[in-house]
Amino acid sequence: MTQHDPALLSAALAGAEQALNQAISLAPHSHQELDAVSGTLLGIEVTTLDLTVYIEMVTGTDVRLMAHCERETDAFVRGTLEDFAALATSNDPAATLINSGIELEGSSASLITLQQVIARMEIDWEAPLVDILGDVAGHQIAEGLRRFFRWGEGARASLKRQVSEYLLEEGRLTPPKPELEHFYDAVQSVAMRVERAQNQVEKLLAKAAARGTSQ
Amino acid sequence: MNDEATSNADRDDDTTDFGYTRVDREAKAGMVRGVFDSVASRYDLMNDLMSGGVHRLWKRFTIELSAARPGQTILDIAGGTGDLAARFSRLVGPEGKVILADINAAMLEVGRDRLIDKGATGNIEVVQADAQALPFKDNSVDCITIAFGLRNVTDKALALRSMLRVLRPGGRLLVLEFSKPTSALLGKVYDQYSFQILPAMGRLIAQDADSYRYLAESIRKHPDQETLLGMMEDAGFGECRYHNMTGGVVALHQGFKP
Ligand SMILES: C[S@@+](CC[C@H](N)C(=O)[O-])C[C@H]1O[C@@H](n2cnc3c(N)ncnc32)[C@H](O)[C@@H]1O
Repeated sequence: MTQHDPALLSAALAGAEQALNQAISLAPHSHQELDAVSGTLLGIEVTTLDLTVYIEMVTGTDVRLMAHCERETDAFVRGTLEDFAALATSNDPAATLINSGIELEGSSASLITLQQVIARMEIDWEAPLVDILGDVAGHQIAEGLRRFFRWGEGARASLKRQVSEYLLEEGRLTPPKPELEHFYDAVQSVAMRVERAQNQVEKLLAKAAARGTSQ
Repeated sequence: MNDEATSNADRDDDTTDFGYTRVDREAKAGMVRGVFDSVASRYDLMNDLMSGGVHRLWKRFTIELSAARPGQTILDIAGGTGDLAARFSRLVGPEGKVILADINAAMLEVGRDRLIDKGATGNIEVVQADAQALPFKDNSVDCITIAFGLRNVTDKALALRSMLRVLRPGGRLLVLEFSKPTSALLGKVYDQYSFQILPAMGRLIAQDADSYRYLAESIRKHPDQETLLGMMEDAGFGECRYHNMTGGVVALHQGFKP
């Protein structure tokens, strides 16, 4: 088990899983290859991030990503982030696997199949990831904004600092800058909507109260 | 807050907490039913809005921790509208079985419809049942989940013992429930959210601020991480541990029947 907040990790995995399955559904030629390794379970430990992720090939069109899994893996690989980045983009994964610092237990067949399928596809990782991550951090932060920050540039800077700290410390994630910018805007607009809704509610309540006393 | 919860649980009289109000033990069940009768039809929408969709992630991790496998029998208590049951149904497959249990007929009704919509019916049984007196055989279930349900149960110790009885030896219990934020800042933000915004949203969307105020209050009355862990151990569960999620706003407790 990792020390990462399971909700944040689940968000990242849910986003990645969605991106992956979407890409697979658009690449029919990969279905047969994935089908051939269906039922297999891969474990990937990224030592740099202190993170273990499990990948289950459920069917030819369905891959499942998990933060926790108790089934025995068919293959388990351990390495640094750099090792895996090199593997992900490699034209010759079998060679990269042997020459890199990655440790492998079990059979490499499913890992290599998955690598080949992924390497060929154009996967839009960011969109679903930011969507879902936005939900989590947004949920934790947006509600407090009204109280803890005043609107304007100051608020934005302070929010930025908090979110960056949160992502770095708790998620140990560093999403690219434009995504973060987009995310701050989204949080700000959610917070403003909540504020507006609350104002409306207060007005309605005041009206109801006024009606109550005039009767 | 925790001391209060513990002392209230120990208090030897016929009253119990209903949110921040103390009510007759007998009356609580009826009042909790009233709350869920009134929110049933909008429950799923509110769940998404209230948690900003995060409840799906909490549930996703719960499913992973269940380690559910094909052929197993899973009991989801206080299962409400069948969120977890639908996901378990796929994991246990046609040889397995999922029991969706809840005390509230209105919630189960919504749950049944939703499961039919999702095409998940073959291996799911829907049973109206009280967590404190589960109508199932001893040692008959591989895994029990109770998500956001335990805090509504009047006698939690009784419910935990009932769950232990129904589990087979080696079987596991997972309790997903609101808990105590680990940082003071998050705690403040969260208080603000649940006592100001949540009832306001309840009024706006479900025209029912009182039910949502009850939800917020019942969350604060629920035992914190360590207290619940102790209660599970006292009930006889082994290897008990918990995972904090979203900074402790929610915790997932796990225990095994020895
Ligand atoms: C907040 S809902 C949770 C529903 C669902 N598990 C979820 O996570 O979305 C709480 C549920 O607990 C049920 N409940 C309350 N007291 C109960 C009891 N004593 N036994 C069984 N279910 C109970 C209510 O009817 C309600 O459906």
